Amino acid sequence: MKIVKINEDNCIYCHLCEVACVVEHSQSKDIIKAFKREEKPTARCGVEFNYPLSLSVMCRHCDDAPCMEACQNGAMHRDDRGYVVVNEDKCVGCWMCVMACPYGVIKRDTRRDVWGLSTKCDSCPDRDVPACVEACPNNALMFEEI
Amino acid sequence: MKIVIIGNSVAGINAVEAVREKDKISEIKVISDEQTRAYSHPLLPNFVVGDVSRAEERFYYRERNFYEKHNVKTLLGRRAVKIFPKNKYVELDNEEKVDYDKLLIACGGKPFVPSMKGVELNGVHTLTNIKAADKLKADLPNIEHCVVVGGGLIGSKIAEKLAKKGVKVTLVELMRRVLFPVLDDAGADYVHKELKNLGVKLVLEDSVVELKGDKRVKEVVLSSGKTIKANSVIVAVGVRPNLDFVADSDIEVNKGIIVNDYMQTNIDTIFAAGDVVEAYDIVISQKRPIPILPLAARQGRVAGLNIIDSNVKYKGGFPTNSITIGNISFISMGIVDSDEFEVLKIKKDGEYRKFLIHDDKLIGAILVGNIEKAGMFNWMIQNRFDVSWIKDTFLNSDFGWKYFNKAFRVLRLDRKIK
Repeated sequence: MKIVKINEDNCIYCHLCEVACVVEHSQSKDIIKAFKREEKPTARCGVEFNYPLSLSVMCRHCDDAPCMEACQNGAMHRDDRGYVVVNEDKCVGCWMCVMACPYGVIKRDTRRDVWGLSTKCDSCPDRDVPACVEACPNNALMFEEI
Repeated sequence: MKIVIIGNSVAGINAVEAVREKDKISEIKVISDEQTRAYSHPLLPNFVVGDVSRAEERFYYRERNFYEKHNVKTLLGRRAVKIFPKNKYVELDNEEKVDYDKLLIACGGKPFVPSMKGVELNGVHTLTNIKAADKLKADLPNIEHCVVVGGGLIGSKIAEKLAKKGVKVTLVELMRRVLFPVLDDAGADYVHKELKNLGVKLVLEDSVVELKGDKRVKEVVLSSGKTIKANSVIVAVGVRPNLDFVADSDIEVNKGIIVNDYMQTNIDTIFAAGDVVEAYDIVISQKRPIPILPLAARQGRVAGLNIIDSNVKYKGGFPTNSITIGNISFISMGIVDSDEFEVLKIKKDGEYRKFLIHDDKLIGAILVGNIEKAGMFNWMIQNRFDVSWIKDTFLNSDFGWKYFNKAFRVLRLDRKIK
């Protein structure tokens, strides 16, 4: 199975991976609409910076995924492709996956009315190559067999 | 092979999934005294106040066709009353005998109800399963003032939920703070404030000794002598392993069913997992019941794999809890309140972070407000990671991968170290 490989030496802290991720997970998949007119999705990757280091980190899609184990209602599950994804209609925002994720890559979206929403990399189900990888100008993110 | 599982919740379901990963042929039977398909226990307070109902998929632990898809026969609404290990069968409440080759006991916990006079009165509830939740939900229109006994996870959550619905709520807690084993004083202080903001009255360091009333509870008497007018009481003092039907069997029991590293009891054809067992706590280095959902899932999975002889060890666990009260989220893990260890803590704008370290290993943490990357600390506790060189960065709100040593970070993120 392929996941996004992180080559931190090539990362220049441009945040284009986050931009691409937001657009890909927006309603319209249009950059202007995604950032200015629609409710902006949370980026599934997160860029960390500590000069001169920077790197973008996202879900590693564990074989024995602790987030799935911790999920109280099966919202966190493995899809047919083998990637760990959130069923948004089920997630209740209890943050047990945040508590469990060994990579710290599950984010909290608290904008829904009743239920919070755990947000994480879904390895772009509508694409052959994830949006962040395609957007990276410097091969700091590559889509490779693990 | 005939596999029988007593219990239809987290541990049992994860065992089924583990078995079926490799074994599509063995017969699996699941016995449960509950009629419902596996549901989410942590959602019961939400269920009571109507945030979620039986009609919603969100309420359930697995999809409707789970049993069919995994070729599982269910015996729902049936209670296992006795196990006969020599003849390898389980007797049900209708005297039916269910034969097994391998048995998994995953029947969970039951609410602990402390002795108090008047506990049989109408209006007195518990909240650990759907039956109790249904009863409380049906009674909800009658409830004006509710006394919640016990400020644990269930007690605090239902107090919050009822207060939001406009019910007058008094929370009575024996210790000096709510969520006693889960938080420290500084952490619990945030919960106290949130609950008070919602109108919950807190009575700490006190307990309920008597419930008064004719048919329905009218008044609650505390050990301090104080009385509270209330027409409902929810007892949420905690859960204990449900040992009813193993009590007079040959299965070794202490506080919970004793299991080895393979989730196997002293009888090698009988396994146990979840809230009913006492398994190894790697932080305090001894066996004890830790009734939390992620460990029930892991133990159930390990039991399932070993039922089909996969020889997988349970590495041990420790308590981890995540709860949101009012507007604040809390995550805690391991040992959270002790003077015996090195303590790092910081309180800043809307955030509290605390870490306990022993022999250069992280053994516990509290995160309040900012719970980002909590699981990275979970990993460090579970893997007895040497934190001596990185612990100074734990108090930073932006704690993350950038603070790790490069070689280690690359190996971890490439999944070369699990």
